[in-house]
Amino acid sequence: MDARQGLLYDTHAALRLVDHELSAFAPAAPSDPAADASTRPMPGLEHPAATHLRALLLQPHGEPVGLAALPFILERANQEIQAVLANLRDSRTALETATVEKIQHTSEKLREVTSATEVAATDILDALDRAQGMIDDLDAADAADDKPAAQQTRDRLREEIFGMMGCLQFQDITTQQLAYAASVLTDMETRLLQIAKLFDPATVMVRAASDAPDPRTFDPRATTRDAEVRQALADAIFTG
Amino acid sequence: MKFLVVDDSSTMRRIVVNSLQRIGFTETVEAGDGKEALEKFDASVRFVITDWNMPNMTGTEFARALRDRGEQVPILMVTARSVREDIIEAMEAGVNNYIVKPFTPQILKEKIDALLSVAAAG
Repeated sequence: MDARQGLLYDTHAALRLVDHELSAFAPAAPSDPAADASTRPMPGLEHPAATHLRALLLQPHGEPVGLAALPFILERANQEIQAVLANLRDSRTALETATVEKIQHTSEKLREVTSATEVAATDILDALDRAQGMIDDLDAADAADDKPAAQQTRDRLREEIFGMMGCLQFQDITTQQLAYAASVLTDMETRLLQIAKLFDPATVMVRAASDAPDPRTFDPRATTRDAEVRQALADAIFTG
Repeated sequence: MKFLVVDDSSTMRRIVVNSLQRIGFTETVEAGDGKEALEKFDASVRFVITDWNMPNMTGTEFARALRDRGEQVPILMVTARSVREDIIEAMEAGVNNYIVKPFTPQILKEKIDALLSVAAAG
């Protein structure tokens, strides 16, 4: 997120919170008691500052105070909004610190999934083309009654089919890459819900941590790339 | 010779089992994680090929469990994990050799042959 997007994000969030706070401060219309009951926050869910300000707006007999109290009310509202904005900034910083690197890594892994899938599909299609040619060769060998050539072609065909199966290893690795991406998204969702809960206790935690992929089942660094280089490292370590 | 092939991916188990058949080893038993593998392991198993990342019990935990029981069976790890620390951890867990995914059938054959030679000599 660049600075401009960050500013827009802050502004949007701040305006939503201001709107929410002002709604909470506003006394209900006395002419409509039913609406008053339906729009008033649920007991226990109202922000403490809103409760306090609501009390300021009411005299002992429930009548609104005059304009004389307005500067104090606005001052208090301003303090509340500043506190909310500070909380928002802290939350954003915490989110950025914890997740930006993970998100970048996740994006990279998702691009790799696309690439690995394409490479495997291309390899298999190439192998199928070669297999098709071998079947033509077999037909020609049969027509010429050339048994050694036919046998040689069958052996090559078996190798080709076997090679196609090996190409499917990409599925195991991309499964791990997608599991990693899912774990990052689940983690982010949990963090965002925790932040939302700070500002609105009524926010429901819709996803349980148990929905996240089991971290034992995937390697965040799983890749289809540079297998020879990585194998060479393993060989070097095992041969001492 | 019976091979125990352990991987939570059925695709990978199939690829490994096919590769083994291709190089002449037709007797295999499969398990989806280390816990199941421990249950299926018996004296008839002469070679273990295991993945690392699996639910319930990982490949390194499985290798340690086998070694703790005093089993000397060759263990070949076939995994996507390939950083130095992971490879060393596998070695310390009792793994005898290591193949990085994606692998070729040639590599698999080389590693199996090498481990069987060592086992025969020992």
